[in-house]
Amino acid sequence: MNIQKTGYHGLYFPDLGISLDGHHPEAEVVFVSHAHADHMPRNRKARAIATRPTLDFMDRRGFSGNGDPLAFGESFENNFCRVTFYPAGHILGSAMIYIESDYGTLLYTGDYRTPPSPATEGFEAPKTADILITEATFALPIYKWKSHEELTHEIHNFATESLNDGYTPIFLAYNLGKAQELMHILAPLGQPVMIHGAGYKLCDVYEKYGVGLGNYSVYDRNTCEGKILIAPSSAMANGFASNVSKTRTAYCSGWAANESRRTQLTVDRMIPISDHLDFFELIRFCKQLSPKMVFITHTPNPAVVEHYLSNEGIENSFLHLEADPED
Amino acid sequence: MSEFSFHSYCHLLQSIRETRSTNAKITIFANCLKSAEDEKTLALAAQFIGEGAFEEISGKRASVGSRTSGLAAAKFCEIDYELVFKPCRTATGSSSEAIARLMENIPEAVQKRNPEKLSLSDVEQIFERLQRVSSRADKEALLWEAWKRMTPVEIKYFIRMLSQGSLRIGFETRSVVASLAEAFGQDREEVRYAHMITGSLGKTAVLASQNRLDEARFCLFHPLSFMLASPIESRAADNLEQYVAEEKFDGMRAQVHVDGPNVKIFSRDLNDITRTFPDVTTFFSGRNLPATVFDGEICVYKENKILPFQLLQKRMGVKKPGKKLLEHYPVLFIPYDLLFTNGTPVFDLTLMQRRELLENSAKKFKLPFTNQYEISSDDDVKNLFDRAIQHGNEGLILKKKKSVYEYGQRRKSWLKVKKPGGSFETVIMYAHAGSGKRGGTYSDFTLGISVKDDERYEEEFIPIGKAYGGYTDKELKKMNQKIRELTVERYGPTLGLIPELVVEIEFDDIQVNKRTKAGYTLRLPRFRAIRWDLGPNDVNTLSDVENYFQQKISRERLTQIENPSFTFHTNDQK
Repeated sequence: MNIQKTGYHGLYFPDLGISLDGHHPEAEVVFVSHAHADHMPRNRKARAIATRPTLDFMDRRGFSGNGDPLAFGESFENNFCRVTFYPAGHILGSAMIYIESDYGTLLYTGDYRTPPSPATEGFEAPKTADILITEATFALPIYKWKSHEELTHEIHNFATESLNDGYTPIFLAYNLGKAQELMHILAPLGQPVMIHGAGYKLCDVYEKYGVGLGNYSVYDRNTCEGKILIAPSSAMANGFASNVSKTRTAYCSGWAANESRRTQLTVDRMIPISDHLDFFELIRFCKQLSPKMVFITHTPNPAVVEHYLSNEGIENSFLHLEADPED
Repeated sequence: MSEFSFHSYCHLLQSIRETRSTNAKITIFANCLKSAEDEKTLALAAQFIGEGAFEEISGKRASVGSRTSGLAAAKFCEIDYELVFKPCRTATGSSSEAIARLMENIPEAVQKRNPEKLSLSDVEQIFERLQRVSSRADKEALLWEAWKRMTPVEIKYFIRMLSQGSLRIGFETRSVVASLAEAFGQDREEVRYAHMITGSLGKTAVLASQNRLDEARFCLFHPLSFMLASPIESRAADNLEQYVAEEKFDGMRAQVHVDGPNVKIFSRDLNDITRTFPDVTTFFSGRNLPATVFDGEICVYKENKILPFQLLQKRMGVKKPGKKLLEHYPVLFIPYDLLFTNGTPVFDLTLMQRRELLENSAKKFKLPFTNQYEISSDDDVKNLFDRAIQHGNEGLILKKKKSVYEYGQRRKSWLKVKKPGGSFETVIMYAHAGSGKRGGTYSDFTLGISVKDDERYEEEFIPIGKAYGGYTDKELKKMNQKIRELTVERYGPTLGLIPELVVEIEFDDIQVNKRTKAGYTLRLPRFRAIRWDLGPNDVNTLSDVENYFQQKISRERLTQIENPSFTFHTNDQK
């Protein structure tokens, strides 16, 4: 089957008349795996198909084109193929896209995480696919995530210890996905949370689809002291909570696994919580799906995954789509 | 810390790493020192954090480089070194961190390891054994044996201690000294003094804990930290009459300890280099000196000329130089300071008092010693500087007449006057993420020279050096914008760029280095200007670099017959 790159880093299937995560003028529709900027179509005229939460996020993030919802487990059909969404466990609404056609079956993972983020619809994959197109953001064996329980413990501890010591805890996390996952994890503590405006406007979508985010409000400089704060790293440079003298910061990202990030960011705590799967989960998933061919995308280190897949006897190749370092 | 093991110690190192306030770090380590249950453990706890696997004054080294430990770890984890280990190292920017995480994650490695709660003494023994073997296979076997008994955090710091570099936990010698003072209720200045005299954190720790700091004594044949000079640009001399000038030799700083026939030579990093320079040893052992310590410079000296440092390099690191090497590159040690004489340390005397002792000793025992010049104006400095350059030397050192010997410190009592060695137009090949203040930007750059028309190379450009300074914040921002456009590859914190951005760099000196692609390394390369007006076709070529090097080493040098850099009465007194 013919696969072409399109848009910022999307894929176009000329034989099927569709594109994924990027607009193509010849494609009848574009399927959007999730609402992170690097996967959203930039062309407003494009007819987009995505899950309802994804469309809601896109709407709030300024996508004003046509969007049609497709629920998990339901299918879209045209003359050439049938397309089904599977929950990807990455952020709320994130979908893996499964395509059946005369050319066989194909699974495009978008960004995914298994075991899934607790603030998503979970993770579910088809039993098998002929072709797997997988992201491989954390494609090195130095990346192996701690269990959800361990991370929850670290997050709770950081918040309570800081508050007990008279410090305002600040969690640095990406606006969409990580921020709300942290709020969901922190909710049982019952402490008031304030979130940076860019993330705040996305929170009601989570609540709408039944993900509890606890006791939260939008960041207010004058009253934020003593609350649990959530902001993207970039906000710190713009004076976020700079009026509060005693703060402690925790950087929450898969990249927090790397010590070098600590000196770059000067933070108090590094919490390696990722919304991507780790290297070992990736290889396990590829084996489990036993595809005839794996295409690797979104990775700074394709050669390592290629090496491991080849050792497992799985044919593979690198499909160059750039990874976003802030994911 | 309830039970003092290498494991608990390494955990503590990690928590020091994760603590931001320096005072909090000092307290954490002070508590650790207090909990050491015996003298040996205390000494090792202070040594491992500040000096690494071996005491600095022991001169011991295990020479387990990043390649040796990386190869051993890749085999241990049963992964491919080139294909898997190297990208992991690149992504973390640290070989030891990559190894520790692979040891944690890879099932094959986890299976092999059975952590044993080693004591600090156990680990010291492993270091000793590593130091005695020389083949890679032997080192690998010992590393395997050690790692099998350790947890990942122990493995990480074990490797960092072996490399004799910093443990990279933001805790340098000064902080160790502060912790010792805090732990045992001693005066920080006294602890520092004892450390300078003994040259050993372990010994200092034991003395501090037993309230015996006043017993710290300078010992002959144990090196003393060197006094260092600051560049004159940053700390301008306000009153030149306070200073005297000496030529700054194009050689290697050294400390010579003599007592009758016994001689020891130490390098600036306090390693024993006696065996490397038998000509210096013979020179001093034949003169029957009383116990004396000299500070000075080793230079290649032939036919009354001081020859370039690049020739001295052929002698450096050669443990048993052969007859040919000694004939081709004969060296002379030129003393310029005296630190110990007649059984007494004299580093607390002023420069002029020490100078008098030095001159007396040099005249009596027919030793060379630097010439010193009074200066009172910028013209004096300029004239002397020009002559120093004609002698083939690097420039001048201005020394404050009333200063004591400030061992181990870089203050403004000594000022160096140097001129930049040269400059090249280069192209940026890679940009590396900055750390600390420069975090979040790409602030370090690998610079390339052209080999497009060079038959020896397949590439268009090859690296010549790495620079991380000399630009303004504004320029850095502009460069970062451009870099985003030029990025074609990403290796963790490093970006591979289309070679387009041209930078004029300047550097202090150039040296042959066979381990680099270009065959040369630059000393202290830094930005002079970002040449937005130039393109990749304008950068210097490897042939330019080679020519520059050739010119530099074959440059005419004034002999030491008239107006010499140093005094050496050989012929007239024989």
